[in-house]
Parts: sequence; C-alpha cells; structure tokens
Amino acid sequence: MTGERGPVSLRKRVRDARATLKRQAGAALRVPFRPLGKGRDAARGWLEPRRRWAFPLLAVAAIAVAAVLPLLNTWFELPDWARRATSGAALARVGLFALFALGLNVVVGFAGLLDLGYVAFWAIGSYTAALVSGAAEYSTLVRTTEGVVPRPEWEMWMWVIILVALAVAVIAGILLGSPTLRLRGDYLAIVTLGFGEIIRVTANNLESITLGPRGIASIPHPAIEVGPINIQWGTLLDNKYYWLLLFFVVVWIVAITLLDRSRIGRAWVAIREDEVAAAAMGVPVVRMKLTAFAIGACTAGVGGVIYAQQINSISPGTFTIIQSILILTMVVIGGMGSIPGALLGSVLIVLVPEIFRGFQEYRFFYFGIALIVIMIFRPQGLLPSKRRKAELKGAVVEEQLYDAGTAGA
Amino acid sequence: MNCLHNVVGQFWGQTRNGLVLGSIYAMIALGYTMVYGVLQLINFAHSEVFMVSTVVLLHVFSEWFGVTGPLGGAALPLVLLGGLAAAMLASGITAVTIERFAYRPLRKRGAPRLSFLISAIGASLTIQYLFSLMDGRHSLLFFTLPNLMGNTPRKVPTVMESQSLFSVFGARITNKNLLVVGVAILMLLLLDTFVQRTRLGRGIRAVAQDPETASMMGVNIDKVVVTTFFLGGLMAGAAGVLFVIQIGASAFWAIGFLPGIKAFAAAVLGGIGNIRGAMLGGLLLGMVEAHGAACAGSQWGTVFSFAVLVGVLMIRPSGILGERVRA
Repeated sequence: MTGERGPVSLRKRVRDARATLKRQAGAALRVPFRPLGKGRDAARGWLEPRRRWAFPLLAVAAIAVAAVLPLLNTWFELPDWARRATSGAALARVGLFALFALGLNVVVGFAGLLDLGYVAFWAIGSYTAALVSGAAEYSTLVRTTEGVVPRPEWEMWMWVIILVALAVAVIAGILLGSPTLRLRGDYLAIVTLGFGEIIRVTANNLESITLGPRGIASIPHPAIEVGPINIQWGTLLDNKYYWLLLFFVVVWIVAITLLDRSRIGRAWVAIREDEVAAAAMGVPVVRMKLTAFAIGACTAGVGGVIYAQQINSISPGTFTIIQSILILTMVVIGGMGSIPGALLGSVLIVLVPEIFRGFQEYRFFYFGIALIVIMIFRPQGLLPSKRRKAELKGAVVEEQLYDAGTAGA
Repeated sequence: MNCLHNVVGQFWGQTRNGLVLGSIYAMIALGYTMVYGVLQLINFAHSEVFMVSTVVLLHVFSEWFGVTGPLGGAALPLVLLGGLAAAMLASGITAVTIERFAYRPLRKRGAPRLSFLISAIGASLTIQYLFSLMDGRHSLLFFTLPNLMGNTPRKVPTVMESQSLFSVFGARITNKNLLVVGVAILMLLLLDTFVQRTRLGRGIRAVAQDPETASMMGVNIDKVVVTTFFLGGLMAGAAGVLFVIQIGASAFWAIGFLPGIKAFAAAVLGGIGNIRGAMLGGLLLGMVEAHGAACAGSQWGTVFSFAVLVGVLMIRPSGILGERVRA
C-alpha cells in the first residue's frame, strides 16, 4: 500500500493533517475557525443583533463627551481640581498615554509578551520626528551660530513625518523583537528593559545625531493645509492636540478591536496560553509575535511624533524606564487584553496624580499604596476582558486546590 | 582601534573595577534570584531594599557613632561592623515587610503573575516616596516622619580612607577593594552554606523545585518564603553598605534603581532561580561594564552590559547556568 504512494501524496497527507490540526486549534479556542472570515468575524461582534443600533450611538456619544471635555472649563465655573483635570494639556497627556496603553496592550495583553522597554518606541517616534523635520539641523545651527537663524518652513510635512515614523517604528519593533523570539516571560522582560535603556543611553551619547543630553529643540508644531482647510496647532496648551490624539485613539481602538477579533487575534491568544501547543497546531508563532511587536511599536511611534510636535523639544531624560513601567501599570490596572481597561488605566494614572496636585509631595506615596490595594482586590484589573476573565477563573480553582493541599500538610 | 588599545592598556585596572562592582551586583542579584526560585516572581521592589540600607548606614554613621571623618585603629572595624549589621537588618526587615503587604495577599488569592509585578512597582514607589518625605517636616497619619532622608541626596560620612596596599600586574589594590571583595565572598559563602547545608535551606531548595510536593512533605511554605526574602534582604543590605563605602555614594531615596536593574540583569544572565548563577552573572556583568567603559567611555557601560545580556540569552535562552524553563 504505502509503497504505491509516492512522495507527492505523502506531502498531500501532511498538508491535510496540518489543515485538520489548524481547524482543531480554532475549535479549541472556542472560536469558530473561518479561513475566509477575517472581516465577517470581526463585524459580527460589532453588529450583534441586540445592540446593532445601540453600539454606534453609544460610541458617537462617548466620543462627543470626550471631545467637549477641554471646553467645560470655559463654559462652567469648575473647582480647582476639575479645572486641572480638564485642561487641554492634562487631557492631551491622557490621550498620549491612552495611545501608548493601547499599543502596549497588544504586546502584553493580547500576545502575552512582557515588554518593559516600550518607551524605546516612543523615543524612536519622537526622534524620528525631530530628525525628519529638520529640527535637529536647525537646533545645531541656532546653538553654533551667532545672531538670528531664519526658521525654515516645515509645517506641511506633519502627515509625512507620521508615516515615516510609523515605518521606522515598525522596523525597530521587528529588529528589537527578533532577538527575543526564543525568550519567555521574565527573560523577555529584562531584555526589553535592556533595549529601552540602550536606546535612551544611545540618544544621550550619540551627540552627532541626537545632540546628546541637551536634546533637540524647535520641533515644528503640526498643521494641516489642504485647500480650504487650514488648521494650525499652537503651543503646548492648545486644545487641538487633545483632539488630534483623540482622533488617533479612536482610529486605534477600531483597528485593534478588529485585529483582536481576526485570525491574528486568535493566534495571539493561542501563543499567550501555550506557545508550544500553538506552534504544534500550525500557528506561525514567529510571524505573529513580530506582528504584535510591530503593531505595538508603530502605536508608540505615532504617539511619539505627536508628543514631539506638541512639546516642541525633546531630550533623552524623558524616555526613562519609569515611563515604560507607568504604561505597563495602565495596562495591568485596567485589565490585560481589555481595550476599555487600557483607556481607563491611562485616565486614572495620568489624571489622579494631576487631581491631587495639592498633595504634591504625598501623591506618589499614596499612588504606590493604591497600586498594591487594587492588585490585592482586583488582580485581574478594573475592567478585565471577557476572554481573560474566563481564564482567570480556572487559575483560581487551581490555587484553591493547591491551598487545600497546603492546609492538609 | 582606540577601543582595543584602551582595553588592553587598562586591562588589569578594569578587571579590578569589574570584580569589585561585580561582587556588589552579585549580592543584590541573589535577592532577585532566590525570590524568583521560590515564587517565580520578579521582586521589583528589591532595589528599594538596597536603598534602605544606604539610608540606615548614613543614620548609623552620623547619628549613632557620630562619625565626622575617616577613622583609624580599633574604632574603624567596630564602626564598620555596626553599620553593616544595622543596615543588613534594616534591609532584611524591609524585604520581609514587602513580602507581607505586597505579595502575600496576592499569593493567597492566586493572582495572575503580572499583578505581582504591578504590586511590586507599587511597593517600590511607596517606599521611595516615603523616604523622600522623611525630612522631619512631613507627617503621615498624625505622626511626624523622622528626619532620615528627605528629598535631596545626603553625603554618608567617609569612615575609611582609601589607601593603596599593593599592586597586581600594575593595578593598584586599595583597602576598600579588599574590604568589598572580602565581605562579598564571605557573605556568598555563608549564604551558599546556609542553602546547601541547613534544614531551612533544604526547604528553600525543595520549594524552588516543586512547591506542592514540598508542602505535602511538611515544608512550611510561608516560613520558607519569609526566610528567602529575609536572606535576600540581608545580602542587598550588605551590598548597599559596600556600594557606599567603595564609591563614596550619597544616601538617596532613588539610588536603588540602577544597581537594581543591573543586578536583575545579572540574575537573568546567570540563569534566574539559580544561586550560583547569580554570583557568576554578577561578576560577569561587572567585568563587562568595566571593560566596556574602557573601550568606549564610561557612559556606554550600560549599553555593553545589556548587549552582552541579549547576546548570551540568544545563545542560551535560560541564562548561563539555568537548565530548565518552568512552565
């Protein structure tokens, strides 16, 4: 029998077996496997019959409420803390960190890759903006020549800069991601942390390109001038930065939700839960991990560009590990793998210290205690994703069994 | 070419620096690796355990012993020993406190692993900012905080004058170098003996291997965990004292951060969870940093450390001495 079958049919049998395994992998995740169904699957969640009409309405309402926040100040007499929390600068910070939290959530929450060096991609985005826009040359000229240096015109380049930064960040994500592919859990954590430090120290020491610890100044503010549309972004305090960031946050929420519900999203779950099993089932582990890194990186890259354009001058001192840790805290406090969680986490972690500015010196002390207390009472985060919640229940049962064993001993 | 020239030219001097720095990293790394071995968690608050030791050392030297300048004769070893003992004890207690409030409640609830990390970051922030408030002017819940640290670095009085004793291949060895390496070797030997020879040490190894079976065999897991944290704290405390004495660092509430992440890198380099791996990793990392600094300037030292870490992990994904990856 077997002698009659040539190597060709053997190959076919392997292919069939692999297809079966893939189907089973899909079934194992309790998500129907649809080879053609990327879009259909994604659309289904959004247009579930029972909230087909409610969801878009709610979404529009939420965006509208978020958009008017910085104007409340001018319409009403607000108490001091509320005015601080709804100022354009504070909200822009929330928007920036919401974008970062969404991006890191893809890496840590969806794909389960513990990244402690996320700030590296923020730095790469910001430095790309500074270098591409010509601000680096201009800063050097200003510092080396006497008298007034004429400012070149750059403003219309905003979208090009964002695209370039996106590309650079994706490449950086793949470059920094690829050496870590074999590493797991905590080994990955320290290596990514190391990359974050390497990028910062390099930015600090490579005077010829990054201008060293003094950083790059005079990065142009963004502007849109297309036909009749003419929007100019002003200084740091301009509300329009918040709206720009809000726009990107909304775009990213939609894109990431679709990704999470696509085949890529399911592959990430499989890798997160059991990498070996996922590989055995035919999930392209390497490609999926790199995809997660690249998506996380380009999110931070875009955020980095807008940050640089808003803040006008950047220096390596901004891109410390503390920032990576803060972003990770947002993701975990909100609930890993949960998009509403990432948003809530960024709002809390940026605004709470802002609101309690009156307690200036005490606020980080209480912030630390709050982190511990939240983790004790809601270890799964404040708004956990449904998928994760189901997994956590399993973990608790295991732990109870384990405790029963300990008590008996 | 300049790099090679410098490395060769300063070889023995930098090797000495690397050994001194490496033995300090190794002692901090032990705290990370032991806790990881027992609980599989990164104790991110360990750098604060190190920091506490520098603050306590400052207090003991300047308040208890009233040191103002370098000491000599019989007073020096007594003051050093007193400072070392107090700082180690304080760090040990800090480590146990962190375990009690930031980790044990999560452990009892079976929290996912990343929430331990966030809780550790919370503990780290709490301790740092608590010390930054300790300038005698702030109060917390009706208690005025003692005047220990405050927001700015405080110089720890120099108790020991640096003297070069002899030289090896042209590298001058000072009394401080000898003290650091000597104390480090002593501590590492004591710890290794404790873990390998005593009953409690056997408990630690048993829990690291298989907590469930160990608990069924009558090992008290909580006791083992507390012991592990305490031992790690003692080591970090001793490291803090040596760090201050060697480089004349000031006590500061944010001082723990850099030595902390480097020691963590050292623990991972040696194979996290492996005690001898942490010692090896610490020494190796210290060496790389010292020679890297000779090659490209001291500001690039960190880059060399992490580059070597990445390189080693690409070849051996679980560290130099780490054999198994636990699920």
